[in-house]
Amino acid sequence: MTALLQIKDLTVRFPGVTAVRDLALELHRDEVLAVVGESGSGKSVTALAVLGLLPRTAAVSGSIVLDGQELLGLDEERLRRVRGARIALVFQEPSTALNPVERVGWQIGEVLRAHGTASRRERRERAAELLAQVGIPPERARDYPHQFSGGQKQRIVLALALAADPDVLIADEPTTALDVTVQAEILALLRELQRDRELAVLLITHNMGVVADLADRVAVMRSGRVLETQDVHRIFAAPSTPYARRLLASVPQLGVQDPPALDVPASAPKSPPAFAVTDLVVDYPGHPAALDRVTLSVAPGEVLGIVGESGSGKSTLGRVATGRLRPSSGTARLFGTDLAPLRRSDLRALRRRVGVVHQDPAASLDPRRTVLESITEPLDIHRVGTPAERVARAEELLDQVALTRDHGARLPRELSGGQRQRVALARALVLEPALLLADEPTSALDVSVQATVLELFAELQRRHGFACLFISHDLAVVDQVADRVAVLRSGRLLELGPADQVLTRPTSDYTLELLESVPLPDPEAQRARRAAGRLKTSA
Amino acid sequence: MSAPELGTSEPLGDAEPDQGPRVRRGALLRGRGLAGLSLVGVVVLAGLLAPLIAPYSPQEQLPDANLLGASAGHLFGTDEVNRDVFSRVLHGIRADLLVCLIAVPCGAVLGGLLGLVASQYGPADVAAQRAFDIVLAFPPIILGIGIAAVTGVGMLPVICVVIGAELPLFGRLVRTATLKVRELPYVDAAESMGATRAWVLRKHVVPNILDAVIVQLALSASMAVFISSAMNFIGIGVRPPSPSLGGVLADAMAQLGTNDMYAIGPLLVIVMLVLGFQLIAQALLAERRHGGDAS
Repeated sequence: MTALLQIKDLTVRFPGVTAVRDLALELHRDEVLAVVGESGSGKSVTALAVLGLLPRTAAVSGSIVLDGQELLGLDEERLRRVRGARIALVFQEPSTALNPVERVGWQIGEVLRAHGTASRRERRERAAELLAQVGIPPERARDYPHQFSGGQKQRIVLALALAADPDVLIADEPTTALDVTVQAEILALLRELQRDRELAVLLITHNMGVVADLADRVAVMRSGRVLETQDVHRIFAAPSTPYARRLLASVPQLGVQDPPALDVPASAPKSPPAFAVTDLVVDYPGHPAALDRVTLSVAPGEVLGIVGESGSGKSTLGRVATGRLRPSSGTARLFGTDLAPLRRSDLRALRRRVGVVHQDPAASLDPRRTVLESITEPLDIHRVGTPAERVARAEELLDQVALTRDHGARLPRELSGGQRQRVALARALVLEPALLLADEPTSALDVSVQATVLELFAELQRRHGFACLFISHDLAVVDQVADRVAVLRSGRLLELGPADQVLTRPTSDYTLELLESVPLPDPEAQRARRAAGRLKTSA
Repeated sequence: MSAPELGTSEPLGDAEPDQGPRVRRGALLRGRGLAGLSLVGVVVLAGLLAPLIAPYSPQEQLPDANLLGASAGHLFGTDEVNRDVFSRVLHGIRADLLVCLIAVPCGAVLGGLLGLVASQYGPADVAAQRAFDIVLAFPPIILGIGIAAVTGVGMLPVICVVIGAELPLFGRLVRTATLKVRELPYVDAAESMGATRAWVLRKHVVPNILDAVIVQLALSASMAVFISSAMNFIGIGVRPPSPSLGGVLADAMAQLGTNDMYAIGPLLVIVMLVLGFQLIAQALLAERRHGGDAS
């Protein structure tokens, strides 16, 4: 059987870098080929090359054959007829893929018109049909994109992609921007559409769970090359290259890690909790409460994981903990001190004992300050010691986060994402805080980098013994670091308990749903679960 | 940079020597930047060295030298009262440079401070924005005539007008840039560490908006040369017989047929200055865009 899409010797060069080197891939009809790799591995560039969408500065050589037709070097007009009609593309971020000022039905109609459906009535009927297929009520064709949720938007993007009945669907991180329960729905939909239409799907992703869920075959890419292409079952069971082995080992898995041993709860609560809220309510005028009567506390030396999807109020809780946001009602105490009546100067003094690590290390470091200057900043602010002592202290921290002194003189843009997050960690710890607030500290990082940063985090936590509020949407990550876990949804605290209990025997239905939605990085288990789930829904 | 003195020193000046040269030096040593720098450099040097290189005193009336054309002895010829135009132009440069040196930094500092204050306090913002609107409603020359009517002609109205024209530009620039920088996560990070508002402004906001301010400085210098020449041209600037570029040019208008270089000379210098500053601004701007992409 010949491949539907055959890529041979594909090389893409940008001025100064070779993004893709001698790449060879085959995609067959009715098959899902997952391309996995970390950022910079060339997976998205490959997708763009197939569609002829690379910027002009790129030099492309090799061959991309679709059903006997060579795509490289086609003129713009012929390429246009391939795009959409033969090969469709779904991007990561659904909100930017839709035109915000046009109705969604019209947008689908435009694709149909571009590919030759002349009659307006026919277009309207077909658009309604497509929307129904992706699970959107057809009467909503007259709504605008902002009236849909993120998951619904991604469904509409899928309808757009399938409008001209393509043979090949390229999905570039189709679920990365979505919450885990929504991701599960979109994955189920993708799977169904693929089966029904016998689509060939090129799935680009970094999420091994998504791979296990959807893929038939897997190509592992690194630095522009395909390291190995394997059947999905074989790659999870016996990856042949060391890199693939490492990549798989880095994937955090629920329930695999032993919960870190902790003696703190055993000792009598002599000192007040590092952070405690009672009946905390935070609301913004005109919106439902961001936090609604939440009561929880973090004991000294304890890591409390806060999980929830977007809009659950988990980041709001973090802002309360640093005193950036005042409770509308209820109390918030930091080291036993009520935050509400504090003056700004007292609050600043209190913040000295709180370290913060943000989600995106690229943005949370001042681009003009060297690494060393960033790490000494908290010392400078609170005027701790002499300038020489501050530098010595910062260098000590550099050692602790496994960076060299040379890194100290560099600017953030000269570091990799993982190195930057190490710098952010060092900066947060330089004042020996009693409480660390980590807001999605690893979600901007590649999975193997995430693994090393989490290891480092655990080691530093053991060494410094700080309490930590660890906010994340990733249950497996929380499982790995947290002693106790709190589950938030729409501002309410649904569940709070020891990590192994909440994440294995949850008491609330929502937590169970969250857990079930996480695609397992194991094709056998994931398929078994999906089969069971399908039985449940069809009954 | 690590010295923790929380002084009240003027923020713009404070960070300038430290952050300034890193990006900019390169941009001024090639292409457009180099061309602009050379043009401005030649004129500034000529102005500075005027007493040394000018062949005559600017006021000296030479015997038998009425409206002579350009020659080796008189590069730009002589004027209707027998003065050497080249010498007058060289000395005239000084008047314009003085405006650039006093008015542009004053406008930048005052405007920048207003912008910073406006970005911090809501009511001040509203007041500053409306005040800027009012100033901008007047074309600079009209503003100049108005001020000259009160103060009398001289350098003062010229300097006032240039400052007035630049206040809103710098004010708005700094306000917008500050508001943008303040929303960035690293500012949030600093505040979470317990940094004061003054610290954030001094250590994060000012260094990060300085590039934009420097570009505007070059543009403003070009505008200042233009405004001061125009005001001298219509006679509300430097009082004759003291020379100024605009003044010499105005006198030359009556003698266009007799000595062409009389008008072309000062015009050439004005063009060199305006063009030079514009080229510098463009080169810095291009460099800044590149720098922004890289980070």
